[in-house]
Amino acid sequence: MESLKTRKITSVWIVIVLALFIVAIILGILMRLNQGTIIQQSPVTFYGNMTTHGLTMIGIWFVAGMAAVNYLMERYVKTSYGVNLFALICTIIGVLMLWSSTFIGHFHAGWTFLYPLPFKVAWAQWATPVFLSSLVVLGVGWLVWSVSLMSQILKKYTLSQAFAWQHFKKNPAVETPPFILITMVTLVGVIACLLAAVLLLVLLFAEYFSNGSFVNDAAAKNLTYFFGHTIANEMLYLGLAVIYELFAEVSGRPKWKTTWYVAVAWNLSLAFILTAFFHHLYMDFVQPEGLQIVGQLASYLASLPAAGVTVFSILVAVYRTKINWSLTNLLFFIGVAGWVIGGLGAVIDATISNNFVLHNTLWVPAHFHTYNAMGNVLFSLGFFHWFAHKFDVGFYIDKNAMLKLTLILFGGIGFLLAFYIGGADSIPRRYSNYPPEFTMAAPLATVAAVFATFYLLAILLFFLNITKNV
Amino acid sequence: MYKNNVFYFLVIVIIGWNTSVYSQQDNIAWKEESHVYTKVLDAPLKGYGLGDSTSLLQLAHQNPTILALIFTRCTGICNPFLLQLSEKLEWEIEHKNFNIVVISFDPRDTEADMSALAKRFHLDQEKQWIFGVTDSIESLNKSIDFNPIRDETRQQYDHEALLVGINSDGYITKKLIGMRSTSDLALLVGSIYNSFTPTHQLPNKNRLFSCFNYDPKTGKNTPGLGLLFIALPAILTIFILFTSNYLGKSERIG
Amino acid sequence: MQHSILWLFLILAGASIIVFTYVYLSSKKANQSDQGMNQPLKKRFWFLLILFVILGIFASVTIPKSPYYLFADETPARVLHVAAMQYAFILSNDAINPESPQGETDLVLPLNELIEFRVTSLDVNHGFAIYDANNQLIAQTQAMPGYVNRLRWKFTSPGKYNILCLEFCGMDHQGMRSSFTVK
Ligand code: HEM
Ligand SMILES: [Cu+2]
Repeated sequence: MESLKTRKITSVWIVIVLALFIVAIILGILMRLNQGTIIQQSPVTFYGNMTTHGLTMIGIWFVAGMAAVNYLMERYVKTSYGVNLFALICTIIGVLMLWSSTFIGHFHAGWTFLYPLPFKVAWAQWATPVFLSSLVVLGVGWLVWSVSLMSQILKKYTLSQAFAWQHFKKNPAVETPPFILITMVTLVGVIACLLAAVLLLVLLFAEYFSNGSFVNDAAAKNLTYFFGHTIANEMLYLGLAVIYELFAEVSGRPKWKTTWYVAVAWNLSLAFILTAFFHHLYMDFVQPEGLQIVGQLASYLASLPAAGVTVFSILVAVYRTKINWSLTNLLFFIGVAGWVIGGLGAVIDATISNNFVLHNTLWVPAHFHTYNAMGNVLFSLGFFHWFAHKFDVGFYIDKNAMLKLTLILFGGIGFLLAFYIGGADSIPRRYSNYPPEFTMAAPLATVAAVFATFYLLAILLFFLNITKNV
Repeated sequence: MYKNNVFYFLVIVIIGWNTSVYSQQDNIAWKEESHVYTKVLDAPLKGYGLGDSTSLLQLAHQNPTILALIFTRCTGICNPFLLQLSEKLEWEIEHKNFNIVVISFDPRDTEADMSALAKRFHLDQEKQWIFGVTDSIESLNKSIDFNPIRDETRQQYDHEALLVGINSDGYITKKLIGMRSTSDLALLVGSIYNSFTPTHQLPNKNRLFSCFNYDPKTGKNTPGLGLLFIALPAILTIFILFTSNYLGKSERIG
Repeated sequence: MQHSILWLFLILAGASIIVFTYVYLSSKKANQSDQGMNQPLKKRFWFLLILFVILGIFASVTIPKSPYYLFADETPARVLHVAAMQYAFILSNDAINPESPQGETDLVLPLNELIEFRVTSLDVNHGFAIYDANNQLIAQTQAMPGYVNRLRWKFTSPGKYNILCLEFCGMDHQGMRSSFTVK
């Protein structure tokens, strides 16, 4: 079983994630308030906050998933405490560097830092290298962590067992726990996209130090979205691994087993996830049409194993089955619903002919905030809550569980609806101020800020409750 | 072998090898965009291989046309330009029957000069190649936005190597400036048959990392070096996967 | 278009919420002896099959409508050259020289005729998005340095059309705009 050290470091991860989450939400609310003309920030401040918000959010929910997976993996294989600590240190240093480049240096090229924008310096000269270096630090720390977890799995399971290939046939001799399978599939994707980021950074640094211009814009954009899209997707799958491991357990039900269709589904999803990023380049006519169609098909196909296996399994597990409902499995359950709904918005947008009128409108933050703020975040909160209370003595009742859930749902849904309506009204994303012809844009932003404040309240309650216990 | 190349490639990038070669073509790349979808002048033609056509548009109405502008006394780009054109278009010419009309923009050139040129390149027997002169070269130049500048002392012209694609309605569909790759030429040929490609690359950008090149044989874009870069993370991941599997093997029992 | 997309989404999202709520309530009401779902494997199979068929139909209907094939076998009646730069659009009837980019204002485009926008960028990535008189986004492409993207469109109603940038390009991204009239 897990050592005290792993427990400690997991607690540290949780506290850091929640603290950074609060800061990042506040930045999000400030952005919405500015778009609603309730406050007046300069565009530079706005876009700086946007960059910080985006990268911080991606970072914390990635490490939240990793920390949870690392903790639970101790049930099956030994993991390296040193590497976990190394990743923690890299994350802290990386975030500090990132924040100094944006808050002090006013770097504001967006979290996707699309080439060649980082080189059109409109901020402190030093901010570009510091920003890029912060990504290197984060990338290296996370890469080492992922590779280490993967190699620990491979010390116990063979390659084919880790991918549960023996489950394709009936009555396999060895069983691969679903948690191991999903973690393995996810780690492969994570490693691939982190390597893409490293490669991209190598190119950018080479260009930066040689003062040349040899990076092809189209190649850079492909790498950018291979990294950005894939990491945003994989971090959700880390959350799913946690659900496969914990849902039955906290519900007082028999543990889930790997079946042939679970094995097939997860192996397939690896292929789809790695090619779905092409849907970020639909409006780049530069991209060959074949890849555009691959993008649409892969995005569609990625939803099949997700819906047909994971979502369906959750529904089967709950339907007319007596369950010990607690805040943990409620968060998991609602999170899956949020993930499904965000996925619907994503599939709609991953249709090329729809993307033609939705690309880079508010529809985009609408759908990805749905499966993040109402999906992945809830997966991790569920884990945090379970982690914080599993050592409680006696029966534990969370007094304000319902209050927290209500706040999250009420605040979250209102905040998201404003994005969806804005997207359908063709309001552009990433605008610090809206052109006057979009009469609905500012009011929608203000309403969204109010709703988001309720969401923030729920997170504050979680923070107080969980930090008291870990 | 393949892995080695990738490695060298990375090393080269890391030391910041700057491959941009700036030629005089860079600042005129944008001119390829000028006058597209305008009608070309119906210049009267005299010369070799014309058949019963007497003007540029008559030719174009029969078959879509590529227009190349040169002068026979050129000591610069014209000869290599024609040579590579005849080589790189070989495949296209065998499979499609468009005209390649080579016209001199030098008033000194005569029909005889042009047919001598055709012979020199062994193109006199090729019926898709037409070599000729026109007496309205000034207006023709204007209609395709071509501005050769005469250098009196050297008796030469300062000019770019220009190709103009003309569809059978007589409209300019695409222009290419400079010595270009087979895939660019294929795009030019495609355009005179009115096949629509939603994008093209301008020649001034470095293409080292381009992801795709247009392949005339399949009519599709094919992977370029840049695509290798996009595939590299996946290749490295597989490599890491197998390495950790290999290392893990020793620790697995049974 | 966008509003039917929103409705489609809201209906699907509503249906998902109903399913999840129903399943949750069925668990709340369940007692120890309840067996859960009957024949879940069979139901799972049907669910997947239906989903697959629906997505297949969706893909085969929508893919041919992709912008890359729009008006592909017609010849444009009019060409408009577009160069995007931080933070302006240059629109011109003639090719645009990047050394001294010059555009035209008060452009008028013909109704019901095929227009080809030849879009490039002089610095970073930008977006070229056309908004109709009701501020609905009707067509877009990206503006990438070194490439010319060709967007073909026929305007079927007269009026003033706005162009906005839909790819984040720096601090005045939100102010980058242009317009033309269709008559
Ligand atoms: C209630 C909480 C949140 C609020 C109020 C909020 C607010 C915002 C706002 C206003 C934007 C800019 C939208 C625009 O383009 O105009 C944004 C962008 C973004 N948000 Fe959030 N957000 C929240 C939660 C999250 C979460 C949980 C994630 C998790 C990954 C996240 C990730 C992002 C990312 C990646 C961007 C894109 C940044 C960019 O365009 O460079 N946000 N958010
Ligand atoms: Cu822009």
